Amino acid sequence: MVGAFDWTERERFMIEVEHLTKRYGEFTALKGISFTANPGQVTGFLGPNGAGKTTTMRILTGFTPPSSGRAVVAGYDVFNQSMDVRKRVGYLPENVPLYRDMTARGFLHYMGEIRGVKNLRQKVDDVLARVALLDRAESRIRTLSKGMRQRVGLAQALLHDPEVLILDEPTIGLDPLQVLELRALVRELGRDHTLLFSTHILSEVEQVCDRVIIIDQGRIVASGSPFELRAELERGGRVLVRADAPADAVAALLGTVPGVALAEAANDGVVVTPVSAEVDPRPELARAVVQQGWRLIELRPVAVNLEEIFLELTRQEQADMSIADVAMVDVAETETTEL
Amino acid sequence: MRAVWAVFKREVSLYFRSPIAYAIAFALLVFLGFLFNGFVTQSNGQFPADATAIPGLITFLLFLIAPLLTMRLLAEETREGTLELLMTLPMSEGAFIIGKFLAAWFYYTVLLLLTVVYYFILQWIGVPDQGTAFGAYLGAWLYGGAVLALTMIWSAVTEDQVVAAFLGAATVLVLYIAENAAQAIASLQLTSDAMANFVRELGLQAHFGATLAQGIIRAEDILYFLFLIVAALFITTRIVETRRWRA
Ligand SMILES: Nc1ncnc2c1ncn2[C@@H]1O[C@H](COP(=O)(O)OP(=O)(O)O)[C@@H](O)[C@H]1O
Ligand SMILES: [Mg+2]
Repeated sequence: MVGAFDWTERERFMIEVEHLTKRYGEFTALKGISFTANPGQVTGFLGPNGAGKTTTMRILTGFTPPSSGRAVVAGYDVFNQSMDVRKRVGYLPENVPLYRDMTARGFLHYMGEIRGVKNLRQKVDDVLARVALLDRAESRIRTLSKGMRQRVGLAQALLHDPEVLILDEPTIGLDPLQVLELRALVRELGRDHTLLFSTHILSEVEQVCDRVIIIDQGRIVASGSPFELRAELERGGRVLVRADAPADAVAALLGTVPGVALAEAANDGVVVTPVSAEVDPRPELARAVVQQGWRLIELRPVAVNLEEIFLELTRQEQADMSIADVAMVDVAETETTEL
Repeated sequence: MRAVWAVFKREVSLYFRSPIAYAIAFALLVFLGFLFNGFVTQSNGQFPADATAIPGLITFLLFLIAPLLTMRLLAEETREGTLELLMTLPMSEGAFIIGKFLAAWFYYTVLLLLTVVYYFILQWIGVPDQGTAFGAYLGAWLYGGAVLALTMIWSAVTEDQVVAAFLGAATVLVLYIAENAAQAIASLQLTSDAMANFVRELGLQAHFGATLAQGIIRAEDILYFLFLIVAALFITTRIVETRRWRA
């Protein structure tokens, strides 16, 4: 889908990225990624540190140009029509850079003046209310807690009613309560914006996102709804089984179950490796344990966090599985999504 | 324009709240006050009142003043990461940098105007030449603008303010002593005078000391300072742009 955009496409995708690459000298941080994001959805950008999340967002916000490839945001090319894109995007950079000696209100006023926001005073009050900071509006930013600063950054991104919101790891460094508050806010904002947000926490995308794009080492390795994705990642992954019987006995039994390549006793149960990624051994495992007369205590994928899932992904890759098979492809949306 | 004005206003208000800016103003006025006092008592009314001494001194002191006023301007934005935020707003690098520069120049202008008080004191004790005084102040104003723009380049190059100030001071001194370098080259008599003249014309003094400071207002001197300002702002813009592209 190279070539001019027609109006219908513009309507459909607020963010459209094609074969985007970014090189830093010899090092290639983005290796030709393609994806789309839709209005009224929260699209999660999930990947470990160094995956290329920030780099992608910096390109989408017009801060830095791509080395090659193309990105269209709100119908404008990020490189050739940077100012048009910037007018329509609200951006919260990683680490939330703010002027620490300004008050929250003063800072928002300054940002609004540069953007030429109409009815600025009113707007500033509105966004401060939206992020629940009206009572700290006159405090210097340096005196605010990390969570409050994050919300000042978010208020700044909302000031001009942008169509697209791009938030780079907004929950990093917050305490658990602040994280919950911020996720709720992100979900809410996702209803009337095209919202792209990045994280390296798997459970976070499940709680917040309508769609997930998993990125690793500058490549998109999977995308889809969080539900599909988890199912896909779990299928073929190793499984942990715990039953009220000695681990060695359980391992011996489960080693004989169809579809199981290996069953080893680990410290808190038995880790079962299926013969191939196409096989989900869990139903058979459950049946085997119960038929033996034992009680099943736990049956879950070994990989529960992102690091483990990536380990699983690479393990499966080594088991001679092409990455494309792991990738979840929502056919309707992925004419342009290369995997 | 809107963005230039917004940036200008913020930076000016920062200068008027900045301890460094006040320290500079205080030190400058005290220092000039002492010199002025000595100068008036020594001459004891026997010489014609010279209104160009103060602006002349200020231009010399600019090698210290200018870097201190400009070192923060871009280095801090880079270090704090706020540059990333600003450069994703619908504002060009040029507008951002011009706003910052104009704020520094404005603060310097206020400083310069404060020293006009010495001119009025001279008027009270003697008869200073008005034309010469005007030329000298105009010169000191343009000179200041050029030097501020030049030192601001370093604030874009490094995010370390101390390094920026140091390199800024060195740059101004080099351009200041071009005059002396030209004399040295001329005295060697190795080349024709063209070389010496060229070096001399590059320097700041050639366009101030013998001309504007004497009340001689030449278009070429004014253009020299304006050219320095434009060129320096252009270079700064390109540096910020390059920084952004590599980010
Ligand atoms: N300005 C830069 N110069 C060189 N390498 C960079 C630069 N910015 C990022 N990188 C590299 O690009 C890769 C992706 O970085 P980044 O996009 O920040 O990852 P993430 O946000 O997913 O943690 C990393 O390996 C990082 O070291
Ligand atoms: Mg990052």
